Amino acid sequence: MTERTTTWRMILVLIAVLGVWTGLCGRLVYLHLFPSQKLVEDSQGGHILKRELPVARGRIFDTHGHLLALDLPMKNVIADPTLTTNDQQKYDVALKLAQTLNLDPALILPRLETPRSRYKVIQKFVSVEITTNLAAQKLPGVFFEDASARRYPHGTFACQVLGFANLEGVGSAGVEQRFHDLLKGRPGLRIGEQDGKHREIYDRRGTEIEPQDGADVHLTLDMHVQHLVERALDEAMRVHQAKRAWCLVERVRTGEILAMAARPNFDPNDYRNADTNAIKNLAISHVYEPGSTFKLATVAAALDAGTVTADQIFDCESGKWLFRGRLLHDYHPAGRLTVADIIKKSSNIGAAKIALTLGEERLDQYLRAFGFGRRLGLDLPGEEGGILYPHRQWTALSISRIPMGHEVAVTALQLLNALCCVANDGHLMRPYVVARIEDAKGLVLRRGAPVELGQPIREDTARLMRKLLIRATEPGGTSTKACVAGYTVGGKTGTAVKFVNGQYDSRYNVASFCGFLPAEKPEIGLMVVVDEPQPLHTGGLVAAPIFSQIASNAVRCLQIPASATLLAGAAETTGGPL
Amino acid sequence: MGKTTKLLIYLVLLLTLFGLIMLGSASPAQAEKMKHAWYYFVLHQVVFISLAVAVGAGCACVDYRLWGRFSITLTLLAIGLLGLLLVLHGLWKLHIHTPLAHAINGSWRWLFLGPVNFQPSELAKFAVVCWLAWWMTRVRRRAADARLGFAMPLLGLGLVVVLILLEPDFGTTFLVAFVGMTLMFLGGSRFKFLALAGMGGLVAFALLIMHNPVRMRRILAFLWPEEYAQKEAYQLLQALYALVLGGPTGVGFGESIQKQSYLPEAHTDFIFAIIGEEWGLVATLAVALAFVVFFILGMRISFRAPDQFGRLLAFGITLMITLQAAINIAVVTGCMPTKGLALPFISYGGSSILFTYVMIGVLINIGRQTETDLRPGAFRVIRDQHHDL
Repeated sequence: MTERTTTWRMILVLIAVLGVWTGLCGRLVYLHLFPSQKLVEDSQGGHILKRELPVARGRIFDTHGHLLALDLPMKNVIADPTLTTNDQQKYDVALKLAQTLNLDPALILPRLETPRSRYKVIQKFVSVEITTNLAAQKLPGVFFEDASARRYPHGTFACQVLGFANLEGVGSAGVEQRFHDLLKGRPGLRIGEQDGKHREIYDRRGTEIEPQDGADVHLTLDMHVQHLVERALDEAMRVHQAKRAWCLVERVRTGEILAMAARPNFDPNDYRNADTNAIKNLAISHVYEPGSTFKLATVAAALDAGTVTADQIFDCESGKWLFRGRLLHDYHPAGRLTVADIIKKSSNIGAAKIALTLGEERLDQYLRAFGFGRRLGLDLPGEEGGILYPHRQWTALSISRIPMGHEVAVTALQLLNALCCVANDGHLMRPYVVARIEDAKGLVLRRGAPVELGQPIREDTARLMRKLLIRATEPGGTSTKACVAGYTVGGKTGTAVKFVNGQYDSRYNVASFCGFLPAEKPEIGLMVVVDEPQPLHTGGLVAAPIFSQIASNAVRCLQIPASATLLAGAAETTGGPL
Repeated sequence: MGKTTKLLIYLVLLLTLFGLIMLGSASPAQAEKMKHAWYYFVLHQVVFISLAVAVGAGCACVDYRLWGRFSITLTLLAIGLLGLLLVLHGLWKLHIHTPLAHAINGSWRWLFLGPVNFQPSELAKFAVVCWLAWWMTRVRRRAADARLGFAMPLLGLGLVVVLILLEPDFGTTFLVAFVGMTLMFLGGSRFKFLALAGMGGLVAFALLIMHNPVRMRRILAFLWPEEYAQKEAYQLLQALYALVLGGPTGVGFGESIQKQSYLPEAHTDFIFAIIGEEWGLVATLAVALAFVVFFILGMRISFRAPDQFGRLLAFGITLMITLQAAINIAVVTGCMPTKGLALPFISYGGSSILFTYVMIGVLINIGRQTETDLRPGAFRVIRDQHHDL
């Protein structure tokens, strides 16, 4: 080994090492100055933080400002199973979670035994008090997430009107669905930078757009009246062992809906366990053959057209009339009746004969003017328009069946609205449930105002019609049980035999009553429908008492003064010449 | 003291100071993650540096030939400590736990001796250089001999290397093996033998890596980073992103975002990436250049060393430090798979900085003994202490 060899070998290594460093410098220049497009994009992508700032969904109030729906700040309890290492620890955590959250530990433990996942939901929507308690226990791998939960403090109260917002905050029925866009608000946006663990770096916060809370919806519903309705329906379901029942109360002059309820019902706080039939708002979306209550429209039309007068006499054929080869029956057989008595006694044959004076075309026109066969434009989802065929498609028998509420299908809302039209001097109003919608700053985004849809009958016809309807609640009428002490009531019963398994089966009925009060200066109209009541089944015996029960309390809630004529001790409204 | 030595000292101190400043920027995020005060790493590093500088200065005053005399002892000590780690590892597998050692990130590299954590492989790096320089000087004229010039030194080197490999620490294994074989090459071993041994070593290394799924994935991740972006290649990609973000002049001191939990080990093995992000190409090239200058200065000392032992020792030390820096930068820039080697002078770490300074001390001593009365053009007599075995 010579000195020279060593030197040469050293120089060789030296050159190699310098070569390596030259390469490294080249690599540095490349990375710093001329990186590939992909590297540039990737290097910037991960840092940007875009976070939606949570927003509270708007609240829902009744007409007095009572809270019916609101968003509550809650927490989701989440577990990161990778942070609980051994079985004993997992077991302890599961046990403590179960105790605090009132769950079964056997359900929690499997979720902690998924080492591949770092995010397992233990319980959603837990109240802040409970999570504070949990946080104090410092359980390994358990953390919390902000969540906003929709809550309906009164439970089932007015559930079909309110509807519900699902877990994702999407309104899925009722007001929640119809006004979702206004209720949901606009979430804010925060743009900044985050660290490698997706935590925000506070001193690098960039633009921030404030969240805009959802608008509050103020309904026309009156909590007190609604409560009366809810209670009365509960009782009706129990007493009459009915399949379904629904009821609504409308302010005559404006079309405001004061109460609306149906049975079966559901708890919107627990909508996932609700029956779909319970979510349906029967008062506006269930179409049925109305039966005798429909006669008020027929008679009002004939009176308005002038084809009959109130004291004109019709032969009611002692309860059996062969019309175009088919028999028509009366529930209470009668001989000769005036038009007024046809209403009072609810004679089918009389109603058919009145309609015949009018003719198919004009009857059709009047019924459509009353709002049958089309939607009224209520501000709730699911409103139905009913079924009223154009008169050209009517059969030979239709003219005798439609006047008594068969071969025609309506919603309770349509019928009540037609009644309110009579009570409102012939002015047909559009019903509505939303009084106003205000955003978080108090700006009114939408205001519900009375809208007149038309005037199907003249004012004097309406006044005369009211008198006829008042007589139905007087002794000898079908609606005597609808009376309210201190108030005169006008109304009409209905008992429709249901079409079951291809034929009308008299064991299945829809009992209904629609009425208004005080009759001489009507304030509210009210409609009660009970589906398949047992054993009583007529509108007069089933629905009229419910009307009376609700109305007698509602007049006090609404501070409607008693009828002056009754206070005077004379029933002059009823006694005069018709 | 000659110019070369003085320059070397300034350079080393400058690099150390720069490293300390960068540690001040890169480590608080890490300290916070480990629930320490933000200055935890800086404070420790200051202590390590003070100690290392003192020890290094001491070494600079000790005649470097001493290390030749004690090289066997040193190597045996290193082998003993590495062996101890292996034994402790074995005991642990038998469920006998000692407080002396435990695995960190799957490797048994640290001995915990009371308040001091110590990496035997750092000692081994120095010991191997000393011993090989001494051995190759001793067998000098018979270095071409297969037994004396090749088999014996390879056996010694192999023993140390295998022990480091078993920790496992592939980066240091590679570094020690490479520097050791280079010393053998310079000492006069036959190139044919070394080339064969090198090839054999590489094949064995490759087989070992293929046998070990973790290392295998690291290699695959190195080759196709995008496919492994979430796990194995995550660190590599984050380092590349840091350099890309840095651009020509960097984002500014302390402004790095990659240190915010993106880049693991931002204060140790990957601190170079943070330098690149905060100061840009200017700083990374400057650091690279500093190591090149360091290498050239070390080479100058080596070339002018008073004897063959000094030459080889200086060369080995210089190569060890420079190569480690090169490998570290190669890893950070994605030219080599992830290794776990610190950047000398700059990365946080007690054992590393201590033995780096010991080696620098020795290098300075060699430099001091050559340049005292060296005039340009003067002849030098290489003293040859060990004539024959």
